[in-house]
Amino acid sequence: MDPLTLTVWAIRLAFLAALYLFLALVARTLLRDIRAASRDPAGALGRLVVVGSANLPAVGSVFLLDAITTLGRDLGSGVVLDDAFASARHAMLTFRGRGWYVEDLGSTNGTLVNGDRVTRATPMGFGDELQIGATRLRLERGIA
Amino acid sequence: MTVTALPGFPRPVPRWRELGLLAVVAVTLLLGGLSLGTTRTGSLALAHPAGLATYLGALAAVHLALVLAGRRVDEVLLPTVGMLGGIGLLLAERLPQDLVVQRVGSATLGLASLQLIWLVLALAIAGSVAIAVRSDRWLRVYKYSWAALGLGLLLLTFVFGREVNGSILTLDLGPVSWQPSELLKVILVVFFAAYLAENRVLLADARVHVAGRLTLPPAPYLLPAALMLALALGIVVIQRDLGAALLFFSVFLCLFYLASGSKVDVLVGIALFLLGFAVLALVFATAHERVAIWLDPWSDPLGTGYQTIQALHAFARGGLLGTGLGAGLPAVAGQLPIPAVHTDFPLAALGEELGMTGVVAILGCYLVIVARGLRIAAGAADDVRALLAAGLALVIGVQAVIIAAGNLKLIPLTGITLPFISYGGSSLVVNGLVVGLLLAFSDRGPAPLAEPRPARRLGRQQA
Repeated sequence: MDPLTLTVWAIRLAFLAALYLFLALVARTLLRDIRAASRDPAGALGRLVVVGSANLPAVGSVFLLDAITTLGRDLGSGVVLDDAFASARHAMLTFRGRGWYVEDLGSTNGTLVNGDRVTRATPMGFGDELQIGATRLRLERGIA
Repeated sequence: MTVTALPGFPRPVPRWRELGLLAVVAVTLLLGGLSLGTTRTGSLALAHPAGLATYLGALAAVHLALVLAGRRVDEVLLPTVGMLGGIGLLLAERLPQDLVVQRVGSATLGLASLQLIWLVLALAIAGSVAIAVRSDRWLRVYKYSWAALGLGLLLLTFVFGREVNGSILTLDLGPVSWQPSELLKVILVVFFAAYLAENRVLLADARVHVAGRLTLPPAPYLLPAALMLALALGIVVIQRDLGAALLFFSVFLCLFYLASGSKVDVLVGIALFLLGFAVLALVFATAHERVAIWLDPWSDPLGTGYQTIQALHAFARGGLLGTGLGAGLPAVAGQLPIPAVHTDFPLAALGEELGMTGVVAILGCYLVIVARGLRIAAGAADDVRALLAAGLALVIGVQAVIIAAGNLKLIPLTGITLPFISYGGSSLVVNGLVVGLLLAFSDRGPAPLAEPRPARRLGRQQA
């Protein structure tokens, strides 16, 4: 074989090899990312982010949710609301199979989801906003 | 080394992983250019050095802009897209330059120059969208307006569009011809992500029994699915654009499955689509002809089956390692074997010159884009953003699969572009927009504050 043919062959194989080197490096990065994500402890079902509030909890605070979480002024609640318009046992969030539901526990001033009053167990999607008194909480996906 | 922010600017965040991958991309593309130039001239030479340098410069500029913007966005997408775009540029340089000619002022631009211009424009759009888009509110709140805009675009094409190869796809805007179905795919993803996220829980839980164990979501929530089917088939009927219809419907089914988690719904959807397609194939000549070509291209080898047969021959000539860039596609009597090689059959040309090894690597790049999109979706804080990220990545992946399978005669050929590789301004620009949005949605927020260093004891410092 003449040197030119050899050179062309060498360059062609080097090009293909470089393509696969790139893919191998990318694959390593993807695997690392997935491993790091699976090591993260917080596999919570969801979280509530405070977006508006009268007193406490402060705007910006985040609550990781258990499958059944109660909200209210009572200090035993999962999310304690220091809000004059909240009842002691105000509302309850439950995770049922695929999604979150909210129900009002007979509160005095009611519970709103995206501005609509809750009358029975109402489904809540991630990104929806829950309002109790002057406190507004956004439901978000747990950290993945 | 500490990097301090300029006043008024965010603190730059180094992106070493992206830089490393971009370096590999640069080496690969230079090797490709060397391979092409050496085959062509018969001595060691780099093909189109100015074009390659401009392209690599544009990639580096986007990287630098992302570093300076200081957002912690995905570091794999840009190099992967850069690799695909670079391979497309090499292919455009390798093909005869008079496939596409456009006069801009006094200069006459050929295929490679035009492809380079569109690629740089697409990268610029991806970079600026990735930096500028902070929120997806403007997408989710106005979902019905976006849907209306998409339908308007479709109607506009129908009324004012120009017919190419029996399909009404292109809209002429001055010197640039534009394919609105490319933009429509993004708009539809936005609409369905917002709609499905809003009704996700109901789609999954409030189910109506149909027969036996078969349950479906209640009828009002199936309405958009029915509308989608009507839209997809409407596009086929009006524009005779089978590829876009297939793409829209597949992506819709993927999103529907992600939102409801129900395999039955997807199977029902596929069954409905096949049914509708069978009816269309019987009624409409274009659809019927495409299926006939797919089943037996050899019945008319010099007429309708010509392109498909030539593509199969190209793949066969390529074999495992290919003929090498610049060595394939011998012109038959001065004619290209595949007329639409730069738009519909780039994979056949790449299959001939890079072989199966190269084609598998290219398909691997699309897989990486989809994997990254799904990873971004898994990390998203709410449903709309998750479905948006998944849908945008799937649009690119599914489109690549549809045209690749069409080239390989696995499914009937449909005239859509291979993302980032095919020649075509609207395709490149819209896919640039998609990558920009994916990058913006992958933002992990500001970096957590570093742990304060434990203060050294005074005694040790003195020692």
